[in-house]
Amino acid sequence: MSLTTVLDRTRIAMSEIADYAGALGNPALRLGVTGLSRAGKTVFITALVHNIVHGGRLALFDPAAEGRIRRAFLEPQPDDTVPRFAYEDHVEALIGEDRRWPESTHRMSQMRLTLDYEPEGFVARNIGSGRLSIDIVDYPGEWLLDLPLMTRSYEEWSRTMLEASRSARCAPLARDWHRHLATLRPKEPAPETDAVKDAELFRAYLSACRDAGASFSALPPGRFLMPGDLAGSPLLTFAPLPVPEGETAPKGSLWAMMARRYDAYVRHVVRPFFRDHFARLDRQIVLVDALTALNAGPEALQDLGRALGDVLSCFRHGPASWAASLTGRRIDRILFAATKADRLHHTSHDRLETITRAMIETALERAEFAGSAVEVMALAAIRATRETTVRQNGDALPCIVGVPEAGETIGGETFDGSREMAIFPGDLPDDPQAALAGAARDTVHFVRFRPPWFEAAGPGDGASFPHIRLDRALNFLLADRLA
Amino acid sequence: MTDPNTTRRERAPRAFEAPPREETTLDLPDEAGSGDGEPAHHLPGRRGLRWGALLASSVTALVAIAVTMSVTQMVEQLFAREDWLGWTALGLAGIAGIAALALIVKEAAALMRLSRIGSIRETAERTLRHDDSAGADETVRALSGLYGHRRDMAWALGRLKRFEGEIIDPADRVRLAERELMGELDAEAGRLIAAAAKRISLLTALTPAAALDLLFVAAQNLTLLRRLAALYGGRPGSLGTLKLARMVVTHLAVTGGVALSDTLIQHVVGRGIAGRLSARIGEGTVNGIMTARIGLAALDLVRPLPFETLEKPRLSAIAARLTRSTGAPQAEAADDGTERRPQDGGGRL
Repeated sequence: MSLTTVLDRTRIAMSEIADYAGALGNPALRLGVTGLSRAGKTVFITALVHNIVHGGRLALFDPAAEGRIRRAFLEPQPDDTVPRFAYEDHVEALIGEDRRWPESTHRMSQMRLTLDYEPEGFVARNIGSGRLSIDIVDYPGEWLLDLPLMTRSYEEWSRTMLEASRSARCAPLARDWHRHLATLRPKEPAPETDAVKDAELFRAYLSACRDAGASFSALPPGRFLMPGDLAGSPLLTFAPLPVPEGETAPKGSLWAMMARRYDAYVRHVVRPFFRDHFARLDRQIVLVDALTALNAGPEALQDLGRALGDVLSCFRHGPASWAASLTGRRIDRILFAATKADRLHHTSHDRLETITRAMIETALERAEFAGSAVEVMALAAIRATRETTVRQNGDALPCIVGVPEAGETIGGETFDGSREMAIFPGDLPDDPQAALAGAARDTVHFVRFRPPWFEAAGPGDGASFPHIRLDRALNFLLADRLA
Repeated sequence: MTDPNTTRRERAPRAFEAPPREETTLDLPDEAGSGDGEPAHHLPGRRGLRWGALLASSVTALVAIAVTMSVTQMVEQLFAREDWLGWTALGLAGIAGIAALALIVKEAAALMRLSRIGSIRETAERTLRHDDSAGADETVRALSGLYGHRRDMAWALGRLKRFEGEIIDPADRVRLAERELMGELDAEAGRLIAAAAKRISLLTALTPAAALDLLFVAAQNLTLLRRLAALYGGRPGSLGTLKLARMVVTHLAVTGGVALSDTLIQHVVGRGIAGRLSARIGEGTVNGIMTARIGLAALDLVRPLPFETLEKPRLSAIAARLTRSTGAPQAEAADDGTERRPQDGGGRL
C-alpha cells in the first residue's frame, strides 16, 4: 500500500468521523448517482427532487405512499467549495417553451434534499429525529472514467490507450495523432512544444471518439474532454507514448516528463475527486444507457459493460454494519438502472433488464459477492412517451408515442422535432447473450424523444414529471432509512 | 412475457402517425399466465363421491316433494270446500314458493360471491409469484367490480384509478391495490375482531350456566364471521356463513402448527394473571382469545388479497387489550364494536 493510499484512507476516515459527529443531530445519506456521460444523471436527480418535493405519483415509494413524508425541501449544500446543483434551471429547461433536456454537465455540483418524515417504529418515533438529508452530487460523466486510473501506472495506461486507439473503430479518428507519435522519441529529452502538441492531438482524438460514440473505455482521462476548472492547466499536457515494456524512464526524457504529469493528474485531480465525492457513499444508483449502446452495436455494448466494470471496481461495496463503518463506509445497496426505458414499450422492459444484467455481469456479481443488495430495473426518470398498439397487416405492434427530437430517423423517415409520432422500435432479442453478440443490430432502433408536455397529474396531486419505476428505485434506495 | 412474433422478420423498426390521445390502447392482450393450471388448493378439496352431500340432497328433494304434494292436496281440498279459501291458499303457496326461490337464489349468489373472493385471492397470489400482467389486470378489474358500488370504497378506488396509465410491474400493481384498498378495511376488521373477542370474554365471565355461554359464543362467532365477510365484500347469507365457518375450522386445523405460539399466549394469559383472579375471568379470556383466533383465520379467507405489503392484525395486540379490559368491565359498555383506534400498541390494527 503506497503512502498516498494510506494518506487518502486517513483523510477519508477523518471526514467520516466528522460526518458522524454532524450526523448525530441530522442523519445524512450520500446517494451516489453514477453514470457515464449522457446516461441521464442530471435528469434523474432533477426528477427525483421534483417528484419528492412536489409529492408526485410515487405509489411504490413506501414512505410517500403511506403519507409519512411531512415535508421535503432543498437545503444549502453542505460543501461550500462545490456549487449548488442548478435544479431550478434544469426544471426550467424541461418545462420551458422549447422543452429540451438539460445540457451536458460541465462541472461538479451538489445538492442536499432534506425530508421530514414520520418514523414507523415505536422507538424511532420517540427517539429518532424524523429527519433525513440526502446528499447528491452531479458531475460530468466523463470524469467517472478517470477512477480506474488511480490503480494504473503511466506505462500501463499508455499501453491500453494505444491499443484501444488502434482498434478498427478508433484508428481512423486517431490518424493525425498516430502520425505525430511516430516522430517522437520517448527516451530522449524533448521540447515542451512537442508535449503540448502531442496532448493537443490526443485531446482531438478523444473528442472525435466521443462524438462518434465510438468507445467509452478509450476515453479517459475525462478532464481532456470536460476540463471544468482545469481548462488550459499544465496538468492536462500529457499523452500516452509508445513505451517499451519492462524498462524505466531515463531521467529528463519525454517519457519521464509525461509520466510525472500523469502522476500529478492522478494525484491532484482524480484522487481528490474520488475522495471527496465517492469514497463515502451509502447507496449507489448506476445509470446505464443500454439503449444508445444497442443502437450503436455489439462493440459499444461490450465496451460500455467493460467501462462500467472498471469504474465500479473502485467503489467499496458490502453490507453496512457498525464494525464495517469503522474501517470506512460501504455501499450496501446498489441499483443498476437501464435508463430511458420510455423509448420502448413496457412489454419489452423485462428483456431490457436481462440484457443490461448480462452486460454488466462482472460488476454486478462483484457487488453481490461483497454482500450488497443488488437490483436491476428498467427506469425512466422522466417519461416522455405514452404507449399504444398499432395494428398493421394483422400484426399488433406495441408502440410508443412521443415527439422525436429533430434529426432522429427511423426506417428511412426523418423527424422534424415538432410532430407527435407512434414509434415501433423493433423487438429486443429474447436471449441477452445474442443481443450482446449483435442480434439486435438491425432489428431494433431507439429514437430520442423531446421532454413531455408538463401537465398536472390531476386534482389533489402535485404536478410533477411522469416517470417509469422511479418510485420503485427510490423505495429500494431510500425507504429503509425512512422507516 | 413471450411474444409469438419475435422471430418474424417484418417487424422492423418504423414510425406511424400518432393516434389521438383518447384512442390509446394501453395493453396488448397478453397470453402470459394461461399456461399454469389450477394452483394447489390448500384447503381440503373434493373427495370422490360425496355420500353426505348425496344423502342431504336426496332427503331435501324428498321433503320438497312431500311438501309440494301436501300443499297441492290441501289447496285442492280447500277449493272443494270454498272457492275463495282455495284461491287464498294458492296465493299464499305461490308467495311462499317465490320467497323460497328468492332465498335460494340469494344464498347461491352469496356463496358465489364468497368463492369469487377466493378466486380473486388465488389470482393475486399467482400474480405476486409469477409477475404476470394478465393476472394483475384481472385482479384489479375484479376488485373494482367488487367494490365499485360501495360508497366507503369510492375514495380508495379513486386513488387506485390514478395509477391506471402508469407503467407498474404486475406484482407491484397487486401490492398497490392492496395498500390502497385494504388498509381501511383491515383496520375495521381488527376493530370488529377485538370487539367480538371482548364481548365474548366478558359475557363468558358473567353467564351463570356453561350451556348458555356455549350457545352465546357460537352465535357471536357466526356474527363476527358474517360481519367480516360483509366488510370485505362477501355479504354471505346464512348458508354462506355456515360454509365460511366450516372453512375457518379447516383453516384453523391447517394452520394449527403455525398458531403454536398463540397457544402459549393463551396459557400465560388465561391460566396466569387473569386465571389467578378468578376461574371464570380466566375462562372468559381464553374464550375471547379463541374468538380472536377464529376472526384472524377468517380474515385469511374473506380478504380478497393476501397480506403482502400490509401487516396482518396480530393476536398478541388483541390479546393485550383483552386482558386489560376484563379487569375493568365497566369500560366495556363504551366500545360496542365501534371502538376507535387505540393509542397504545394497537396502531397496526
